[in-house]
Amino acid sequence: MSSMKSSGFQSGRFIGQSIKWIFLIAVAFFTIFPIIMAMLGSVKTNAELTTGATILPTVWQFANYATAWEKANFSQFTWNSLFISLVVTVGTLLVATMSAYAVDRTKFPGKQVYVALQASTMFISIGAVVLMPQFNLMVKLGLNKSLWGVIIILISSHAVIYFMLIGFFKAIPKDLDEAAYIDGCNFFTVYWRIILPLLRPALGVTALFTFRGAWNEYILPLVFTMTNPKLQTLTVGLANLRYGIGAAAEAHLMMAGACLSFLPILVVYVLANKSFIQVTAGSVKG
Amino acid sequence: MRRRSSLFNSYLFIFPSLFLTLALGIYPLIWAFRYMFYDYQGYGKERFIGIDNFTRLLRDTEYWHSVYNTLIYASGKLIIVLPLSLILAVILNRGIRGKVFLRAVYFMPTIISTSVMAIVFFTIFNSYNGLLNQFLLKYGITSKAIDWLGPDYAMLTVIIMAVWGAIGNYMLLFIAGLQGIPDDLYESASIDGANVVQKFWYITIPLLGPVLQMIVMLAIINALKGYESIMVMTEGGPFGKTDVMYLYVYKLFFPVSAASPTVQQIGYGSAAGFVTALIVGAITILYFAMSKRLNQD
Repeated sequence: MSSMKSSGFQSGRFIGQSIKWIFLIAVAFFTIFPIIMAMLGSVKTNAELTTGATILPTVWQFANYATAWEKANFSQFTWNSLFISLVVTVGTLLVATMSAYAVDRTKFPGKQVYVALQASTMFISIGAVVLMPQFNLMVKLGLNKSLWGVIIILISSHAVIYFMLIGFFKAIPKDLDEAAYIDGCNFFTVYWRIILPLLRPALGVTALFTFRGAWNEYILPLVFTMTNPKLQTLTVGLANLRYGIGAAAEAHLMMAGACLSFLPILVVYVLANKSFIQVTAGSVKG
Repeated sequence: MRRRSSLFNSYLFIFPSLFLTLALGIYPLIWAFRYMFYDYQGYGKERFIGIDNFTRLLRDTEYWHSVYNTLIYASGKLIIVLPLSLILAVILNRGIRGKVFLRAVYFMPTIISTSVMAIVFFTIFNSYNGLLNQFLLKYGITSKAIDWLGPDYAMLTVIIMAVWGAIGNYMLLFIAGLQGIPDDLYESASIDGANVVQKFWYITIPLLGPVLQMIVMLAIINALKGYESIMVMTEGGPFGKTDVMYLYVYKLFFPVSAASPTVQQIGYGSAAGFVTALIVGAITILYFAMSKRLNQD
């Protein structure tokens, strides 16, 4: 530790500290400003939102939410989003834990090929092109008339979750499996009764991640609901408000809808902030 | 005895994963690979035309303009977001007051769907009655409304939004990397009289090397691939000024909105998607080779 403290050093330090805090606050302002504006805008009247130049609403019009919920059909959108996100989360975790269990605990011919295949699906991207064959496949199976087409496709892209889980699997000692086998467990019961309960913290974190991904997905539900508006999710229904009749006349509904779509996930984030941050830092997803 | 059944069990357990990956990950790639050589509009007859789609793409100035736009967009985003998030990470990695709170605030945008935030940004930057212009006019900062989504500023606006959405993510990845650097190195440097900037250049940057290389590579790939927010906010307009590669490819397959119908060009779109993937791959490899050489020097 340096013990030299001249007054010049002190004032230099003060300026340095000030610059640092101005920088931190400026960036914080930049990141939080659009979110605050959306929240405040969601309770303004449309006239005030589009011409008012006010920060706080002069009239707090909470009825915007009721209007968005009923007239702009956000209740239907929310249900669709929730259904997709929940099923995708459960499905992804099941598929990914099963394969991670087999890969981490057993040897079988073709294991390397399987792992390489999973890795490659994360890096090769030809963009929207793959949507076409995926969509055609779902039409053939008759799954484009429900949300199941979207759900199955989202579950199929579980590679990131698989690789995250493999890390957690390695932390569970294999002696535990052996002991369970001696006690009469088999391959399935070890997975279901030993591994999954021990994996609970990891499952919680990856579930959060999967849920957020499915909830925020836009392109896939957009493509699947082009001819069937009843199946639209929050992200799609909201974006469509922009192109609706008199889009400019409904800015306040757009903001209320935006808040309806991000406030639940923001609340979860605030409650589980630590897990969110851990899993993002631990994964290779940018 | 267990061993005998274990092979069957292993395959049984990877089956759902393998099946889904093959059916919805690999099959679409093969499908696209075939259609690259066909003339197909999505209905009616498909016709084998060899490499005509590729020669057409070579002459397609709109496509190459979108490639150019992608490079502007990606470099604009990265030049701002990488230094910004690295500096934030360095500051927040040390024990300063409000560390946890600030991290949470910076990370918040990454929680929200890019399509939803594009809607919010649209109402802020909207040229006619956007919030930003309302304020600029009210407080006399500008005398005339700035056309934020017009030809001159649309790219800048789109980049600002991209930066907003990405800061938190890269800050976090940098913090994870910084935690691998031992504290005593900084302490001994302080005893030797090194200042903040010196410590940053001579300790943080070199020791962060490999992690930095990976994060930058991820950032490049992501910036080249991103098109969702642009699609919602500008649809690639005005006059194709914000059209990026993957958005251009998307438009060959699907309409962006009910207001803008699309003539499906499946064969041509497949070829464009393939070439775009090659461009992204080439840039990634080029970066990797260059950054490796820098590391060795």
